[in-house]
Amino acid sequence: MIRKELVAASAEPLILSLLAKGESYGYAIIQEVKARSGGKLQWTDGMLYPVLHRMERRGLIKSRWGESETGRKRKYYSLKKDGKTAMVRHQEQWSLVHGVLSGLRKEQHV
Amino acid sequence: MFDLEKAIGDWRQRMLAAGIKTPVPLEELEIHLREEIERQMKSGLSGQKAFEISVRQIGQPETLKSEFKKIGTPVEMQKIIKLAGIVCVVVALFCPLFLFLPLLLAPELSLTAKMLGLAVYTVTVTAVVLSWRYNHKLLPVIRNQPLRRAVGIVCYGACLLWIRFGIFHFSPGGSHPRTILLPLFIFGLEWMVVAFLGGVGYGLEKAAHRQNTLVNE
Repeated sequence: MIRKELVAASAEPLILSLLAKGESYGYAIIQEVKARSGGKLQWTDGMLYPVLHRMERRGLIKSRWGESETGRKRKYYSLKKDGKTAMVRHQEQWSLVHGVLSGLRKEQHV
Repeated sequence: MFDLEKAIGDWRQRMLAAGIKTPVPLEELEIHLREEIERQMKSGLSGQKAFEISVRQIGQPETLKSEFKKIGTPVEMQKIIKLAGIVCVVVALFCPLFLFLPLLLAPELSLTAKMLGLAVYTVTVTAVVLSWRYNHKLLPVIRNQPLRRAVGIVCYGACLLWIRFGIFHFSPGGSHPRTILLPLFIFGLEWMVVAFLGGVGYGLEKAAHRQNTLVNE
């Protein structure tokens, strides 16, 4: 399992990156994160919604109510312009951290 | 016999009791809960077991409440505060126009007087647009939300008072072209006060929003 601090820090970039593929809703976002991480990145499901609402308030994403194919009500989220900018910045920062860690690991193996 | 609908109703009551009272988060959480129960049941679990697992996964009401509390001002409230600023600026731009236009079209005014009148309006519009565009960069970032909201409301209140007691004590008119330009200029400046106050209310929200975005990026 991944430490909860890292899970919390990665929530926003992951949500932004997932929404960059197209609009989605809370349940689908959680399922996709679980699937892509092989179940290792686990959020407490309900915690996703305060994060989504906070991001919406900051103008990174927007929402609309819609219906699933079975008629169930769903709140769909999509990326706004500021969200795309934030996503690029997140990705740069995470790449930087990843690059530093990879470099250090290589040095340890030399 | 386990009644799934009653169990979901009871869960909803527990959420309400914990303080998640705003309808949107609770509705979203319930939709999520139902989707998860459905998925668990499809994988072969009983309704009761699926419900228990799903409730556990969604989290404790108290923890969720504290997370929702951190969000702060609802989007709607923030939009209202910004909208009030936009209204102030639009009013400040258009009200003088309705007064200036008939004066500028008045046949008794010389071309010079008309050009000066037009210049007054242009200065007013330019000052309003520039302050609207850039004031958030000059304004302080008030992180305390209630304080920021209070300052905004005071600005809008001051706008209304200024319009009621400041601007309408004087209405430029007069028949002599030479005496009209100074009052016209003062009138333009008076409307700029409205735009400035509205711009402060809006700009404070924008400054806080930009800072918030940068801090969290």
